[in-house]
Amino acid sequence: MNLQFIVDGLISGSLIGLGAIGITLTYSILRFSNFAHGDFMAWGAYGTLSVIAAIGALVGTTAPIGALSFGWPLIAATLIGMILTACLALLLDWLLFARLRDKGQSIIVVMASFGASMALRSLLEFIFTSSPTYFSRGIQMAIPIGLGIRITPDQMVMLATTVILVTAMHLFMSRSQTGREMRAYSQNPALARVVGIDTARVVRATWIIGAALACAAGVMVGILVQIRPLMGLDLLLPMFAAAILGGIGSVPGAVLGGLIIGLSEAAAVQLIGAEWRAAIAFAILMAVLLVRPMGLFGRAER
Amino acid sequence: MSILDVPILDVRGLIAGYEPGLSIVKGASIHADEKEIVVILGPNGAGKSSFIKAIAGLVPITGGEVLLDGKDITYGAAHLRVRQGLAFVPQTENIFPLMTVEENLRVAGGVLPRAEVQSRIDEAYTMFPDLARQRKLAAGSLSGGQRQMLAVGRALIVHPRVLMLDEPSAGLSPKFVEMVFTRLNEIRRAGLTIVLVEQNARAALAIGDRAYVLVEGREAHEGRAATLWDDPVVAELYLGQRRHA
Ligand SMILES: Nc1ncnc2c1ncn2[C@@H]1O[C@H](COP(=O)(O)OP(=O)(O)O)[C@@H](O)[C@H]1O
Ligand SMILES: [Mg+2]
Repeated sequence: MNLQFIVDGLISGSLIGLGAIGITLTYSILRFSNFAHGDFMAWGAYGTLSVIAAIGALVGTTAPIGALSFGWPLIAATLIGMILTACLALLLDWLLFARLRDKGQSIIVVMASFGASMALRSLLEFIFTSSPTYFSRGIQMAIPIGLGIRITPDQMVMLATTVILVTAMHLFMSRSQTGREMRAYSQNPALARVVGIDTARVVRATWIIGAALACAAGVMVGILVQIRPLMGLDLLLPMFAAAILGGIGSVPGAVLGGLIIGLSEAAAVQLIGAEWRAAIAFAILMAVLLVRPMGLFGRAER
Repeated sequence: MSILDVPILDVRGLIAGYEPGLSIVKGASIHADEKEIVVILGPNGAGKSSFIKAIAGLVPITGGEVLLDGKDITYGAAHLRVRQGLAFVPQTENIFPLMTVEENLRVAGGVLPRAEVQSRIDEAYTMFPDLARQRKLAAGSLSGGQRQMLAVGRALIVHPRVLMLDEPSAGLSPKFVEMVFTRLNEIRRAGLTIVLVEQNARAALAIGDRAYVLVEGREAHEGRAATLWDDPVVAELYLGQRRHA
């Protein structure tokens, strides 16, 4: 049996997990399913691409770092892209979600996020066309690492980056005052105000974190696969599955859920055939939820 | 009383309700002086909880005034009132069940200088040693009495000037009821003003200085806590059938 699916699954699982962190936070703190979250990934990737172009115009061409397909402009551009994507999310919240949230009906906010998703996607197609583009067109050599598994330098760096981002997020949520305030708000918004928490600040932090991580995941998809206006939409359902599987509100749960979905999809592609890819993820989701309705890391008392 | 004889908390003709056009609090007025324990009594459904929640900024106010040390905070955000020194302990759901005891205390210290948070938490542990023993436990696993202590300890983290509590003794065993009221008395002696909504009139009046009886969203009577018990008007309003129970 070929074990290559493990690397493929870990990679796609990391990307799904990074995206799912934003979904799980939005759901547990702002209390709605944000269907525009995938489009934050796409906007993050295109935004980063545009910043790279701007850097290129300013400083000319730069050499890639070591064996990687990209150089420092991509790293700098990603950081700027994360800020831009966070601004986009805050703008959407100000224009749309905050006003509807105040009226108190979650389903209306969800429908608005559907609309926002379509608008964001159409706007990308209008500006950048729907044909795929790339951060780099170079072909990378995959390095054999034993047991018949091969991994490219880009893939290794993406896995390491995911580990760093997820660890940082976990520490942030468990140790920082803002993280504590976010957890408190998700458990009881009224009590959060009673203990002096500025709830508008918690809402902003949620958007900023979710959007910035979506941008990072979008850039990684762009590096490893390609950039398309539909890239986020394609990942939306696996991301929701990961968030639910891991237990709504749990950052480690979202990442673990992402890895389980990524690995099982990759295994399904190899063992049964690519047409089963989506079905397998959802079969696993259903099986886990039958045994643990609150998800792997979810808590019954909510 | 402060130098200018301004009550530390002065609520005048408050009108508040959950839905537009439907007032639950209909022009209620109370005031509390420094180091005073003010008790609010009243029958079920009189609007005591709504009143105190409105003062805390949790129920929309449509009329009247809330003055904290002379400063108008009627329409301020709830979290700002806490920072200005007006703390509130709700009756139910007053802890974050999935956070540890220590996190519950720490989360309330967001506005304090970082270096001070730990010493404030230690103050809460000194006041309620049970909490210190359970600092690492999820607050959801505490007993009713311990939850109440945690909620009070957390409200005190910011060193408020006025502490408002909604039926802190509800559902507690007699041992905990006594403990809660003893602590409240100590807190007052330390310099706080306390506004206490209570069903347990006997215990509340025992530590209270003044009391109001709230009926149908308005204060219907005010008096010294010590004599309120025997006031015939109050007996008729509210206490009558229970006085000798
Ligand atoms: N969250 C709420 N939304 C709408 N109405 C409420 C709410 N809470 C209380 N009420 C109404 O306000 C009135 C007074 O209730 P409350 O303030 O809890 O009285 P008390 O604390 O004196 O028993 C009741 O008629 C109750 O139905
Ligand atoms: Mg009540």
